[in-house]
Amino acid sequence: MTRQDFISRLRAGLRGLAPPAIEEIVADYETHFAEAQAAGRGEAEVAEALGDPDRVARELRAEAGLRRWEAERNPSAAANAVWAVLGLGAIDLLVLLPIVLWIGGTLLGLFIAAGALVVVGAVMMVAGPVVVHGAPVMALVLGGLGLIAGATSLGCIATIVSIGCTNALVWYGRLHMRLLKPALEPQGAV
Amino acid sequence: MVEAVQVQLKKGVLELCVLALLSRGDAYGYEIASRLAQGIEMGEGTVYPLMRRMQADGLVATYLVESPAGPSRKYYRLTDVGRAAFETQKTEWTAFSAAVDAILGGAQ
Repeated sequence: MTRQDFISRLRAGLRGLAPPAIEEIVADYETHFAEAQAAGRGEAEVAEALGDPDRVARELRAEAGLRRWEAERNPSAAANAVWAVLGLGAIDLLVLLPIVLWIGGTLLGLFIAAGALVVVGAVMMVAGPVVVHGAPVMALVLGGLGLIAGATSLGCIATIVSIGCTNALVWYGRLHMRLLKPALEPQGAV
Repeated sequence: MVEAVQVQLKKGVLELCVLALLSRGDAYGYEIASRLAQGIEMGEGTVYPLMRRMQADGLVATYLVESPAGPSRKYYRLTDVGRAAFETQKTEWTAFSAAVDAILGGAQ
């Protein structure tokens, strides 16, 4: 592989990161090639010693994704982190994938159910007394309120479980990737 | 799981090696990469992501220095946080490796 191949594959793999970060990373590797050349090493040899540019790029992107999740804690950052860990493509993630899909599907189902219950509750409260003649208004209103409250707590539980699952996946990714921040911080590290 | 433990061990040791290297003086990327590649046989490509992570963690800081040949060099220096982390990790490593040595010696 030539220097040009390495750099262009690295650059392609880093797409999605902030442009200044990409430039910085590419500059690091460009400088490495220049220094190695000055030391009398051939391009192909240096590229080989550096390893697979696609893998380096994937791990850098994953690290950025995990850091964002730790800093922001919002659904988009969570999706990003989950995607980044899955994107690392280690073989054992093939085993993990069905589990992730199953848990993700279940959680999505819970969120949809919670949303539907809120709607049903609201309809019951507002439209119930009008549509059903002679119905006990108080019972309908209270029933609607109850449904909404129940749905809200269901949504909250699903959210907590989602956060927990994302953290577990991030931990798993860290444990298996060689470049990422160690999952088990050295004790007493500042 | 054994493999994962090895990965963890190596990652921890890598950081300690970089901290030790920089504690003896500032160094630029290529210098760090080639010295670690010679010393503990790690891929040179792993150094740059590691340095980015250590920079993000506040262990090292960077500055640029003009190079006589080619692009300017990015030098890394230890921050106070990095120096403290080095002392802690060095003490831990020394105690740990002494304990392992004692067990290995006793098994002979």
